[in-house]
Amino acid sequence: MKNFYRKVAFGLGPKDKIPSDPLEWATSQLNEIPEFSWKGKILPEKELRNYYRDYVYGDRKVLRKKFKNDKDGYKREKNKLRHVTGQKFWWNLELCIRHSEALKSETPVLAKLWYFWGNHFAISEKDFLAQYTTGAYQREVIRANMNQTFEKMVQEATVAWTMIHHLDNNDNVGPKSQEAQWAKEKGRKVGVNENHARELLELHTVSPECGYTQEDVIQMAYVMSGWRPNWGKKRLETGDVHFNGEYHQPGTKRILGKKYKSGRKSLSAVITDLVNHPSCREFIAMKLCRYFITDNPTKEMMEPIIKAWEKSDGFLPDVHKAAVEVAFNYSKKYNKFQNPENWLLIMSKMSDVELVPTPKLMDLYTLGLKPTHEQRSLEYLLRELGHHPYLAKQPNGWSDVSDDWMSPELLIRRLVYAKEAYYKKNRKSQTNEFYEEMVEKNYDNPSEILKTINQQGDLSNKHVILFNLPETLKS
Amino acid sequence: MKISRRNFLKGSATTLFLAGFNFPVLANTTKKKNLVIIMLRGGMDGLCAVPIIGDKNFEKRRKDLILDETIKLNSDFALHPKLKNFYNLWQNNLGAIVHATNIPYTKRSHFDGQNLMETGGHIPYAIKTGWLGRGMKLGELKGDGLALSLPMPLLLRGIPSNDNFYPSKKRLPRTELLQLLKSVYADKSEHDLANMMEIIANRSMMSSGGTSMSRKNSSLAYKAGLELKKINGPRVAVFEVDGFDTHAAQGGVNGSHSDSLIEMDSIFKSLEKGLGPEIENTLVLTLTEFGRTIEQNGGRGTEHGYGSAIFMAGGLLKKSQVYSDWPGLKRKELFEGRDLNSTIDARSVYASAMSTVFDIDFKRIQKEVFWGDDLQNLSDKLFKV
Repeated sequence: MKNFYRKVAFGLGPKDKIPSDPLEWATSQLNEIPEFSWKGKILPEKELRNYYRDYVYGDRKVLRKKFKNDKDGYKREKNKLRHVTGQKFWWNLELCIRHSEALKSETPVLAKLWYFWGNHFAISEKDFLAQYTTGAYQREVIRANMNQTFEKMVQEATVAWTMIHHLDNNDNVGPKSQEAQWAKEKGRKVGVNENHARELLELHTVSPECGYTQEDVIQMAYVMSGWRPNWGKKRLETGDVHFNGEYHQPGTKRILGKKYKSGRKSLSAVITDLVNHPSCREFIAMKLCRYFITDNPTKEMMEPIIKAWEKSDGFLPDVHKAAVEVAFNYSKKYNKFQNPENWLLIMSKMSDVELVPTPKLMDLYTLGLKPTHEQRSLEYLLRELGHHPYLAKQPNGWSDVSDDWMSPELLIRRLVYAKEAYYKKNRKSQTNEFYEEMVEKNYDNPSEILKTINQQGDLSNKHVILFNLPETLKS
Repeated sequence: MKISRRNFLKGSATTLFLAGFNFPVLANTTKKKNLVIIMLRGGMDGLCAVPIIGDKNFEKRRKDLILDETIKLNSDFALHPKLKNFYNLWQNNLGAIVHATNIPYTKRSHFDGQNLMETGGHIPYAIKTGWLGRGMKLGELKGDGLALSLPMPLLLRGIPSNDNFYPSKKRLPRTELLQLLKSVYADKSEHDLANMMEIIANRSMMSSGGTSMSRKNSSLAYKAGLELKKINGPRVAVFEVDGFDTHAAQGGVNGSHSDSLIEMDSIFKSLEKGLGPEIENTLVLTLTEFGRTIEQNGGRGTEHGYGSAIFMAGGLLKKSQVYSDWPGLKRKELFEGRDLNSTIDARSVYASAMSTVFDIDFKRIQKEVFWGDDLQNLSDKLFKV
C-alpha cells in the first residue's frame, strides 16, 4: 500500500511523517488551492505574453526586414532578441514553480493532479508558447480552477489566449460572416478552422465515444468562430481574447442534436451541455484511472468517480477525492508506470535531491543576458529525459500509457540521470542509513529491496538501482 | 521553357512498358532491405533545392533568391550546388527526385502539416499513429525500427518495441549494474523492461563509453548505417532535420535554407559510409510538410507554400531521374495563384517505397495504411521491384 504515496503523489521525503491515515492524508490536500510554495518571482500570464509580443514583433516586423541579406547578422540579432525577451528563462522559472509544488508544498497530491489537468488541456509544442505562456496558463487557468467545477475549467481553458493560439481559433472564420464577405471582396480566402472545435469535443470533453459526427465538429467550429485575440498593429496576435462578432458565423447551429442561437453566449451554452453529457464524465473518469492506476481501467474503477461527479455536478475536489480513493483501493493490485517527469520528482522527493534551483538564484536573472547553466537546469533535464511538460508533440498531450515510454533511450536516461541526481544530494543523505530509512518508509517489501540494492557496494549505484527497480518505475 | 506537363507522363509510361520485360530474378528471401526516412521540418523549398531551368516566371518572382552555379541534372532541372553528396549518388544511379509533390494538405500550418506528414491522414490530430508504424505493423516488423531522436517520433507509432538512439551526454552505468537490473526485471516477469535492458546492455552503438558522443545528424547517420547493415539489425530508421522555415534571409547559395539542405546532404553521405555495400539494399526518402511560395517576401525569404520535392537515395532506386508531372509556374498553374502545385500525392511514393522494401502488396498498404485513399502505385517507375 505504500506505493500509494508514489501513486497519487511523489512518495515520502525524509522529513515527512508517515501518515496515520493515508487516504485522509491524500484527500485533505484537495479542498483548497494554496498559495504557491515557490518564494521567488512569479509573473502574470499577461506580462509574459507581452514578452512574447516583443519577440514576435521584433523578429517578424523588424529583424527580418533589416537583415534580409545578412543571414549571420539576422541570427545574431535574433539571439539577442531572445534574451531581451527572456525566451530561455521564463519556462525555467515556470518549472521551478511547478516542481516546488511536488517537492516543497504540503499538497503534493494536488500537484500531481495539476500535472494531470495541464496535460489534459495540453498546450503542445507550437511557436514559442512553451517559452513564454504555457507555464503561466497552467497556473492561472488550470490550477486556479482545481477547486471549481470541471465546467468552469473548460470554460476558461477554451478561451484562454494560449489555448486559442495553440489550436488556431484565430484562423476560424465563419464562411458567412462579415469578415468572410470583406475577404471575398479583396480576393482573400477565409473559412472555418476546425482544430479547436474538434479538440474541445475529442480531447477536452465528450471524446469520440459520444459519437459526434464531422458535421457536429463543423457546427462547433461555427459556434467558436469569432473567439480570437484582439489584433493590433503592434501587439499582433497577442491581444486579449475577445468575441468579435464580425468573424462569427450567423444563424442557428446544431450540435449533438441540440440547437444553439448565434452569438457570443453560444459557446458557453454548448460547453455547459458538453460537460453534462455522460460521455464526458466517463472519459474523465477513465483518464484519471489511467493516470493513477492502470493503462486499462475497468468499469468498476471508473464508477465511483462518475458517481462523485454526478452527485457534485462535476465539482473537482469531489471528483479528485473519489479518484484518489479508487487509487487507494486498487493500490495493492495495480502499479502504474510513472512518466519521466513524475519519476524524476519521486526520486527527488524520496531521496532529498535538490532538484529545483533556489528562488534567490532565479531572481538574480537579468533580462538581456543568457541565463546561467544552473538557471536553465530543469528545462534541460526534462528535455534530456524526453518529457518536457510544455513540449508535448500533439494537443492530446503526453501519453499516460506505458508502451509509449518504453524505449531503450528513454530508459538509459533514467539510468544516467539517477546517477546525476545522486551527486546533487547533500552529504547527510549520502549514507546507507539514509537509504535504509527511506526504503522502510516508502516500500512494502523493504528487506527484499535492500537485499537487491546491497548487491552493489557503491552508494551511488545503489541509488541508481533503487530508482530503476520495477517497484519505483511502476507505483 | 521546354518542359510541358505531358512530357513527363509520356516518359513514365515508357518506363512502365519496359518494366513488363523484367528478367526473372532469383528469389532471395534472406536479403534484408532497409527504409530510411528523413523528416525535413519547417517546409523544404523544393524550388530552392531542385530549381527549374529557364523558367521566366520563376526567375522574375524570386530574383534575389536565384542560385548561381547550380548543378544541371537534366534539360529541365538543376540541383542546389551545395548538395554535393547527393549529386555523387545521382551520378551513380543512387539518387533520384520526385518533384511537384506533397502530402494532401494545403493549409500551410507547420503544426498541422507536420502532424499529417507523420500520420498520413487528412485531418490534423485525428490519427494517433504514423504511416510508417502502420506499414511496419503490416509487414510484421516489430522491433525493427530505429529512431535517431528522443522521444519516439509519431511517424513510427503504431508498432511497439522500436529502438531509438540519441546519445546521452552522460556515461552509462557499468555492465554489472545493467545485468543486475536485467535479472531483477526477469525475476519479476517485467518482460518489456527486461527486453529493453537487454538492448541497452548489448548496444554496440554505446560501446565507446557513451560520453560526449555527437548528436549531429551526420554522426547519427553513420551509426545508423552500421546498424542497418547488420543482418539482424533494424530495417527502418528515421531522422529529423529542422530549420527549413526560412521566412527571412533564405538567401542564395550560402543562405539559411542552404544550411538545412547541407545537413540533409550530410546524412546521405554518412549513411552511405555506414552502410557500405548495403546501400544497394536501402532506400532513403525525405518527407516534409509543404513547400514554399514561389514569390520571395520582403525579408528575402519565402512563406509557407504547397508543392515540394522528395529526395530519394539508395540502390533500390530504379535509376537517377527527376520524376514529375510538372504543373508549370504560370499564375493560373499555381496552387491558389502562389504555390507550386502538387500533382503527385507524396503518400503514393511512400506507399510504393514500403511495398518495395517490406515486400507487401501495394494494394494492402493502400487499404490498410492509407484507408484505401486514391494513391498510385509508383513502385515500378521509381524502384527496383
